[in-house]
Amino acid sequence: MSQSLRPYLTAVRYSLQAALNLTNFSSQVVERHNRPEVEVPNTSAELLLQPMNVSRNEHEQVLIEPSVNSVRVSIKVKQADEIEQILVHKFTRFLEQRAESFYVLRRVPIEGFSISFLITNKHTETMNTEKLVDFIIDFMEEVDKEISEMKLFLNARARFVAEAYLGEFVY
Amino acid sequence: MEDWRRIDIDAFDPDSGRLNAEDLTPPNLKVVSASEIEPRISQLRSAATSGDFASALQLVTNDPPYGADETTKTRYFEAVLSVLTQVRQAEIANLVKQLSLKQVDVLIKYLYKGMSVPEGQKQGGILLSWFEKVTQNSGVAPVVRYLSDRRTV
Amino acid sequence: MSDSVVVNYKLAKAPIYSHCFSQDRSILALTLNSDCLVFRLIPNGKPQLVATLPDHDKTVTSVDISIHGRIVTCSQDRNAIVWEPLSDGSYKPTLVLLRINRAATCVKWAPSGYKFAVGSSARIIAICYYEQENDWWVSKHIKKPIKSTVNCLSWHPNGIMLACGGTDGYVRAFSGFVKGLDSKEQVSNSPWADKFPFGALIREWYDGAWIHGVAWRGSQEKLAFVTHNGTFNVVDASDEILTAEYPEGLPLTSVVWVNDHEAVCGGFSCHPVLFSEGANGWQFSKNIDKSVASRTPVAASFEGGDDQDENPSFGISALRKFKDLDLKGKVSTQVQECTHENAIMELAPYAESSGNVTEVSSCGLDGKVVIYRV
Repeated sequence: MSQSLRPYLTAVRYSLQAALNLTNFSSQVVERHNRPEVEVPNTSAELLLQPMNVSRNEHEQVLIEPSVNSVRVSIKVKQADEIEQILVHKFTRFLEQRAESFYVLRRVPIEGFSISFLITNKHTETMNTEKLVDFIIDFMEEVDKEISEMKLFLNARARFVAEAYLGEFVY
Repeated sequence: MEDWRRIDIDAFDPDSGRLNAEDLTPPNLKVVSASEIEPRISQLRSAATSGDFASALQLVTNDPPYGADETTKTRYFEAVLSVLTQVRQAEIANLVKQLSLKQVDVLIKYLYKGMSVPEGQKQGGILLSWFEKVTQNSGVAPVVRYLSDRRTV
Repeated sequence: MSDSVVVNYKLAKAPIYSHCFSQDRSILALTLNSDCLVFRLIPNGKPQLVATLPDHDKTVTSVDISIHGRIVTCSQDRNAIVWEPLSDGSYKPTLVLLRINRAATCVKWAPSGYKFAVGSSARIIAICYYEQENDWWVSKHIKKPIKSTVNCLSWHPNGIMLACGGTDGYVRAFSGFVKGLDSKEQVSNSPWADKFPFGALIREWYDGAWIHGVAWRGSQEKLAFVTHNGTFNVVDASDEILTAEYPEGLPLTSVVWVNDHEAVCGGFSCHPVLFSEGANGWQFSKNIDKSVASRTPVAASFEGGDDQDENPSFGISALRKFKDLDLKGKVSTQVQECTHENAIMELAPYAESSGNVTEVSSCGLDGKVVIYRV
C-alpha cells in the first residue's frame, strides 16, 4: 500500500468507527415511522452529528454524515482524466443498479461524489460493525485498482482495434 | 405556480418543536469579537514564522474562538491551517504527545474542518498524518467526542 | 469468556433493547421485535419461555417489572400496556391511555410499584397511575421544557423525583408527585428543592451530547448519566458536574451504581466498564469481561485482501468481491474478546449484598442476556 494511502484509510476507519454507533430511533415528526434521519429533509438539527470530511486531496475524499440512526458515507473516487470519469461513472452505475444485493449501497450518490452508502441501525444490528467498516475500506482500496486496470485494458483494446482497422490501409 | 407540496410547513409553525442549528449552540458560550481575534492571529503567524510550532500549537488548541461569527472563524482558521501545514512530518508525533485530552479534541476539530475546505484538501496529506498521529495516541475517543460537540471552530 | 461472566443466555436472534428481572429474580422479561417474552429462570438450565406478550404492533422499546410482578411494556406504536400476572401463568393486558402521538421510548416503574413513567419521542413524559373508580390507568404529562426525544428515565428512590435524559443534550430532574398516591413525607429534607408540585422542573444540566442513560444514587443524593460522547458524569444537589472520560471512547448507553463510589457502564464497546471515585474524583477504573490482548484494528484487517488480487478474469472481480463478502469474513482472524458481540443496550443490577451490587445483568443488540460479576 502506498505511503499516503494508509493514513487516508486509517482516518476513514476511525471516523466510521466513531459514527457507526446507531440506535433504533423512531421519527419525531411522523407517527409510527422509523426512517433514517440523515436522509430526512429538514430534520431536527439535534439528531444530526458533525459531518466528517476525510480528504487525501481534492479528487479523493470521503464524506461521512452521521445521525442518530443512520450514517451516510459518500466516496469521491479519483478521476484523473475523461476516460477515468467515464469508467467511474459506468462502474458505480453498474453497482447502484444492483443496490438491493449490496444492502448498504445507496442508489444515487449525493452531489459531488461518485458513490454513496447508507448504513442504518438495521444494518449495524444484524451485521458486525467492524466488518461493515472493513467492507467500506476494502471497497475504497479496490475501486482505484479496478479503475486503473480497466483503463489499461481499454487502452490496450483501443490500440488493438486501431491497429486492426488501420492495417487495412497499409500496402 | 409555486410547488406548494414541497413547502416545509414546520418552518412556519413555532410549536413544531423542531430544533435548528442555532438552538443547539450551548448556553453560556462566550462571544468573541473580530477585534479580539486579530492579535491572536498575528501571534500565531509570528510563532509559525519563527519556527516555534510547539507554542503555536498550544495557542491553537487553547481556548479556540467558539463564540465568534463565521467570517472571524474563517480568518482565524486560515492562520491555524498555515501553522498545521508548515510543521514537518517528523515533528508531528512529538507535538501531538504534548497535548492534553482537551487540546486533542480541539485539534481534531481543526483537522476535520481543514479537510472540508479546498485550501485544506490541497494539503490533505499533511492533515492526514496529523490525524494518524492523534489516533495513534488516543484512539477513537477524540473522534467520538468531536461528533457530539456542538461547539464548532 | 472471562471469569467475570456468571451466565450467558443466548435468547433471541434479534436485538434485545430492554430486559428486566422480577424482584425475586425468577422471571426475566425482554423485548423482541414487536413482542415481549417472559422467561422463567431454571437454576443451571436454559430459561424456559412461559409467555409471549404480543399486543404491540411495532418495535417494543422498553419493559419493566414492578415489585408486585406487574409487567409494563411500551412500544413505538405509541402505546404502553400493563400486564397483570394471573394465577395460571398467563398475563392479562390493560392498555394505558398515554395520549402521546409519537413512539414511546422508555418506561420505568416507580419504586412503590403504583405508578410508572413513560418517555416518548413526542417530547413528553407521561406519568401513569391506576384510578380505582374508573378502572383504568390514567396519564399526566410533563412537557416543558423537553425539546427532543426522551431516551432514558430513572426514579429517585423517594418515588417522587424523576430524572430524564434525551437527544437534546440536557439531563433534567422533574417532580412526579401524584396527589393521593404520594405524600410530602417522602421528600422531606430533600436537598434538591422545597416544594414538589407535579411536573415542576427541579434541576437541569446541560451536556450537549445525547444522554443515553441516567441513574440515581439515593443514599448520596447524586445522579449519574452517560452520554453519546463516551463520558460518565455525576451531579449532585450543588449542581457541580464531575466527568470521567472513557479511554476507549465509544458511546455509553447505560449506567448502574455499584456502591456509593463505583458505577458500571455499558455501551457500544460491547463490555461493561467500571468507573470509581477516588481522591482525584471520578475516573475510569477497569474493563469487565475483556481479554487483555488488545485489538489491532488497522493492521489485522488489511491482510485479508492481498492474497487474492491476481485474478485474470478482470472486470468481474469487483462483482466477485461483493459476492465473496460473506467468505471474506472468515479470512481475517477475529478473536471474540467479549461475551456480547454487539452493543450493550441496557444494564440492570442483578444481585446485591450489604448495599453493594455484586452482579449486573445486561442485554444487547446481539440477542444475549449476560450476567456479570462486578
